[in-house]
Amino acid sequence: MFNSTTFLAILPEILILVVAMLILVAEPFWKAEQRRNVGWLTAGGLFAVMIISLLFGRPGDPITVLGGMVRFDWLGFFFKMLFLFAGAATSLLLMDNDRVGHRGEAYLLLLASLLGMDLMAASADLVMLYLAIETTSIPLYILSGFMLADEHSTEAGFKYLLFGAMSSAVMLYGFSLLFGFAGTTNIYELKTVLAAGPNTLVMVLGIIFLLLVGLGFKVSVVPFHFWAPDVYQGAPTPVAGFLSTASKAAGFAVLTRLFFVAFPGFSQSWTLIFAVIATVTMTVGNLLALPQTNVKRLLAYSSIAHAGYVMIGVVSFSVLGAASVVFYLAAYIVTNLLAFGIVMAVSRIIGSDDVKDYSGLSRRNPGLALMMLAAFLSLAGMPPFGGFVAKVFVFAAGVQAGYVWLVIVGILNSIIGVYYYLNVMKYVYLFRMPNEDEEKHPVPLTRPYTIALVILALGVILVGTLFAPWFSWSDMAAMNLF
Amino acid sequence: MVPVNYYIILSAILFTIGAVGVLIRRNPLVIFMSVELMLNAANLAMVAFSSVYKSFSGQIFVFFVIAVAAAEVAVGLALIVEIFKTKHNINVDEMNSLKG
Amino acid sequence: MTVDLILFLILALVSVSTALGMLLSRNTVYSALFLVLNFVTVAVFYLLLGAPFIAMAQVTVYAGAIMVLFLFVIMLLGTEVLPASNILPWQKPLAGGLAAVLAVEAIYLLLVRARSVAQVTSPDVAINSMDNLREMGKVLFSTYLLPFEVTSILLLVAMVGAIVLTKKEKA
Repeated sequence: MFNSTTFLAILPEILILVVAMLILVAEPFWKAEQRRNVGWLTAGGLFAVMIISLLFGRPGDPITVLGGMVRFDWLGFFFKMLFLFAGAATSLLLMDNDRVGHRGEAYLLLLASLLGMDLMAASADLVMLYLAIETTSIPLYILSGFMLADEHSTEAGFKYLLFGAMSSAVMLYGFSLLFGFAGTTNIYELKTVLAAGPNTLVMVLGIIFLLLVGLGFKVSVVPFHFWAPDVYQGAPTPVAGFLSTASKAAGFAVLTRLFFVAFPGFSQSWTLIFAVIATVTMTVGNLLALPQTNVKRLLAYSSIAHAGYVMIGVVSFSVLGAASVVFYLAAYIVTNLLAFGIVMAVSRIIGSDDVKDYSGLSRRNPGLALMMLAAFLSLAGMPPFGGFVAKVFVFAAGVQAGYVWLVIVGILNSIIGVYYYLNVMKYVYLFRMPNEDEEKHPVPLTRPYTIALVILALGVILVGTLFAPWFSWSDMAAMNLF
Repeated sequence: MVPVNYYIILSAILFTIGAVGVLIRRNPLVIFMSVELMLNAANLAMVAFSSVYKSFSGQIFVFFVIAVAAAEVAVGLALIVEIFKTKHNINVDEMNSLKG
Repeated sequence: MTVDLILFLILALVSVSTALGMLLSRNTVYSALFLVLNFVTVAVFYLLLGAPFIAMAQVTVYAGAIMVLFLFVIMLLGTEVLPASNILPWQKPLAGGLAAVLAVEAIYLLLVRARSVAQVTSPDVAINSMDNLREMGKVLFSTYLLPFEVTSILLLVAMVGAIVLTKKEKA
């Protein structure tokens, strides 16, 4: 069963493990004050993993390897590259976090979680899927509670763990019923078995509900979203950024593969359920984001709303829909990481996440303010940034699938979004620091922040302007689902 | 010979008791134990189905679930101890420092 | 009524009542001990279902390691007895509703689908041979090799996590 394809299929995972081992070995040799250099090693290592995988590990025709555990196709590969990118950016952003950045374990846990995400994107079997989800989550529980002296952080870690354990237990019950129903744990075999079974709609809907609890928690759609704002606020900010981007995208990777591949025969029912969830998620996320004065909580609610927009692509249940999901997640990962990165860089100097304390930022660091403008306009869905093109594709997929009402809800919600994103920018550009000269209070950036933020900002612009290659890759990935 | 349905019904009952425990109890340790009960209910169903289909997939799934549960409990209990050290209280109703 | 069925019903009664005992007990130590008993009865079910390996894993890992860890933490924290809790207003109806839904599901399975499902394999074939274990080992290390390796990483992560979370944070 082992041949070169087998190894190529899990090449990124093997290489991530190599980087993790390197960190474990190298960390003790650094003096305590140099420990943050582990961040350079992690980011560089992940970048190298990306390059090597892109050169040698590209998939050919979709194939299921390793005893049916993982699928080697473009969908998985594209997501893996996205996660590696997000991981590299996050480790750069971790470096100058005073509480976390000097501790080698943080980078190790980040890598373990990345490994889980890679496997989530590729798994073709429920056993593998369950293990991958837990391998992603458990390191993230630890990272959320990493700042032990800070009761908010431990509390966030514990809340995340408790809700995560609960929802994965419910999902596991769904998996076991699915196994009992079909007699197989392989997602690709489930499709044939489920298609053959007569009048089983009630049972399948029950199972779908159980699965939705688990996956809905991971992608934080309403009504499984309540943990997100608390956890994002309490967790170390780089971890919150990682949670809201890569972890969410991994959830969507699973959601799309599982529902598109295993339940195509029941698409009438689940697309309707998803459409309702998308509507509620967008509306609740945006309305709750409106009154927020803490930027981290605002980003938390906005990330809930974005999960709703992505859902429109899932609801479409077409090649265009799947491609738009992949594209939206790519644009969203870059944009939201940039937004969180800026919040980190700012709060490190001014020691606050309150919107009011962003007053006069444009004079304190014009470059940073400009990048913040790019990030927030992209989140709001303004051209020429990535968020705009992504929204256009998602809405187009919705219209093509006949969900015009859903798209109208989406557009109305985007308008609410524009209001609160621009409200933050109002503080940054129009307001001044009270009774102070901004020139005397600069917001300097350290080198890791500069590198990470500039790359992310370029990414936001590139995804928005040169979107053709990105979209053709997304399309290639989406084709693998049908 | 016991019909497999009996096992499934038993597992549904155990799962419900676990879910109810998660919802009504306020002690995180008991909530955590209820989650373990839910996992066990799922495992019982899995092994029962496994014997119907005469396949090892279900049993092996349970084996992995047990390993995952052990890891999860280790991390969860470490967090509970840490919270208790700072707060001297672990009631979930009082975990409300994160609001806004 | 065969012997198997009587055995099953008695064990089922024990397992449901211990689960309820876990849920309703006001003393956390009692809850944990009830849960240990529940896990042991579930292990016996695994034996009845012809899964001796899982039954042993259940006893050693679940009833042994995990629950001992629970008891250890309960006693370390000294939170055995709890004051009467103030239940939030929406929780009781929600719990009742959920219980009703699942009860209906159980009844549906019992009445409607009971006749259509196969019987469980006879246990004496499976337990009394080492073939079961050998075959399972073969499947575990061929088909399920990758998940098995991932488990090792997961356990490493849990170990690192437990150390990180209990070590004093240096300022």
